[in-house]
Amino acid sequence: MGKLKPMSESSVSTPAPARRKLSAGPLSTGDKWFFRSTSIAAYFSFVLVALVLIFLFLKAWPALQEQGVAFVYGNTWVAEDGQPLVMQIGPMIYGSMLIALIGVLIATPMAISLAYMIVFMLGSRLAKIATTLIDLLAALPSVIIGLWGFYVFTPVAISWETTLHNYLGWFPLFQVENPENAFRGSPFIAGWIVAVMIVPIVTSVTREIFSQLDKDLINGALALGGSRLTVFNKVILPTSSGGVVGGILLGLGRALGETVAIFYVLQISFNINWGNLLESHGGGVASWILARFGEAGDGEISGLMAAGLVLFVITLIVNFVANTIVNRSQPWRKN
Amino acid sequence: MSFAPRPAVQPWKRANTNRRILIVLASILPLLITAGLVIATGIDSSLATIVVFLPLQVIAAGFVGFNAYGRRGFGDALLVVVTIFFSAFVLIMLLSVFLSVITEGSKALSLQFLTQNNVYISNTTSLEYGGVGNAIVGTLLIVGITTILAVPLGIAMAVYLTQSQSKLRGVVRTVTQALSGLPSVVSGLFVLSIIVTFGFEKSGIFGSIALFPLMLPTVARVAEEALKLVPSDLRLAALALGAPNYKAFFQVILPAAKSGLVTALLLGLARVIGETAPLLLTVNVNNGTSWDPFNGPMETLPAYVYGYLSSSFNSAHQRAWGAGLVLLILVAFLFGLARFLGRAKSMKSKPTKQKASK
Repeated sequence: MGKLKPMSESSVSTPAPARRKLSAGPLSTGDKWFFRSTSIAAYFSFVLVALVLIFLFLKAWPALQEQGVAFVYGNTWVAEDGQPLVMQIGPMIYGSMLIALIGVLIATPMAISLAYMIVFMLGSRLAKIATTLIDLLAALPSVIIGLWGFYVFTPVAISWETTLHNYLGWFPLFQVENPENAFRGSPFIAGWIVAVMIVPIVTSVTREIFSQLDKDLINGALALGGSRLTVFNKVILPTSSGGVVGGILLGLGRALGETVAIFYVLQISFNINWGNLLESHGGGVASWILARFGEAGDGEISGLMAAGLVLFVITLIVNFVANTIVNRSQPWRKN
Repeated sequence: MSFAPRPAVQPWKRANTNRRILIVLASILPLLITAGLVIATGIDSSLATIVVFLPLQVIAAGFVGFNAYGRRGFGDALLVVVTIFFSAFVLIMLLSVFLSVITEGSKALSLQFLTQNNVYISNTTSLEYGGVGNAIVGTLLIVGITTILAVPLGIAMAVYLTQSQSKLRGVVRTVTQALSGLPSVVSGLFVLSIIVTFGFEKSGIFGSIALFPLMLPTVARVAEEALKLVPSDLRLAALALGAPNYKAFFQVILPAAKSGLVTALLLGLARVIGETAPLLLTVNVNNGTSWDPFNGPMETLPAYVYGYLSSSFNSAHQRAWGAGLVLLILVAFLFGLARFLGRAKSMKSKPTKQKASK
């Protein structure tokens, strides 16, 4: 600060300038336009959501009008020439939920383990590498996961399924009517594929929350004689459970919207698979849209639009709830 | 008043030679026993991993823990073993994806595969002919247009979220987050409904529009993080010197956050470059090379993979793997570049911090 020259006499003696107007708004026109343009950009996200809803609804209306509420819960889909269109998406919604649920059940322990490992067990260098790898997994396109799932993972998963069926076949979930033509393309495999795809997002939310936990609390618990296990059960999990649940819901939202990867590994059929996870038939709204789209006529396209609308509304709600929970459990992120 | 220096007692470090041997044994023995069992009896290796290896490893680690720390050592061991097991599982899956794509894809990869297009190629054509050149051109053009649309808007959103004092910021953030969960197939259907409503012809530009809602939230979120990293002191100092907000942004914040914003761009690109469903719904496939995204059909890498995987011929699947590898290389390149820039940024910011503290 030594470079400042002492003030000259003249500058001190000049009369005080007129009192400046104090206001919180932008002062110059340039600023006004700056903030105006950024807020237009920001409000565009509302416009985008509204546009998606409006256009899908416009195109879905004929089908929705014709099929009524049964579109959501009914379980028939007839779209052949010469027969009246009957489109009811019920089994596919159920299938999406089933697969997403399996995926979440598989992904949650993995994601929490990874987050725990990264935050509490690895040194900072290894933790950084692990985080990068997880982010890379998140960036993998779903078509590549589908390719891998179809070729590499399905044979492995079939051997797991055979083992499960052989040893735990008495359990209703793992019952199979005819082992000859079961296992391939089952919801179990699709659930695993979905799990691979949502592990990164659940991990990154959980990691963020773990890393912001009060270190004194953990060290205090350790000093009182707790082991890693008791500290994890009694301190880490209770204090972070809200955010972790939010992260899991975010993963659920992603899992519901998964399209191409599931399309490859799942045998899509239109009967409800009530929980025989190893039987080779299942469904998903997004994959159903992709499967039917190619040969669909105008009437069926409208039905598929309606299916997309239902999917969008479901994921919007799940994501909204998830984000609310996550944001509430990460108060340090508010600026 | 002088004390003899005490020997450094470190009661928390209880590892001695015996214990080290125990630790090594506990890490090796369960694996050896399981491997031996699998070889000897021929039971399924995944079953052996769950039923034999995992319990053995827990018992072995628990024994070491108990030996060192008493009862609480057992809990430690249980948690550590389970955590490492699950983490290793994810790592193995990730590596499996990479290895399979690289080994299978490299069989198809050659200069001609990268440059030729798909005209006159059928499912059974030898891999010596044809390639993904047209798909690479299409993907780059379509994703490039998406980038031009999404990046300025995403950054403007991030500016709104970080620089303005508007009360609606929370709502905007929530909606943007909700948008990031938009299923890709819904985005495709949305653009398809626009095409049908106005009677447009399907072309590359609609693929770009269908990718746009998927890229926007990613760019906005990463750009927001990048802008938040710039110390608010810098901005406040610029404002205090009399600069209007927009000058403070363009001359102070933007240069400081430049690499972070480029990272936002790259991660957004990596997010959409492999999206398949929106392109299948909005762009018709094309075996020839098309340089015009505004007219006619266009081929893209994901659609190429999808098309050849849907066939039942082995040679066709080879092509799918090859295109998958090209896609993977593109994603990994974008991702690596983003990370590299991110690291360069954090290295640069260190000396400035030191200066500021003086």
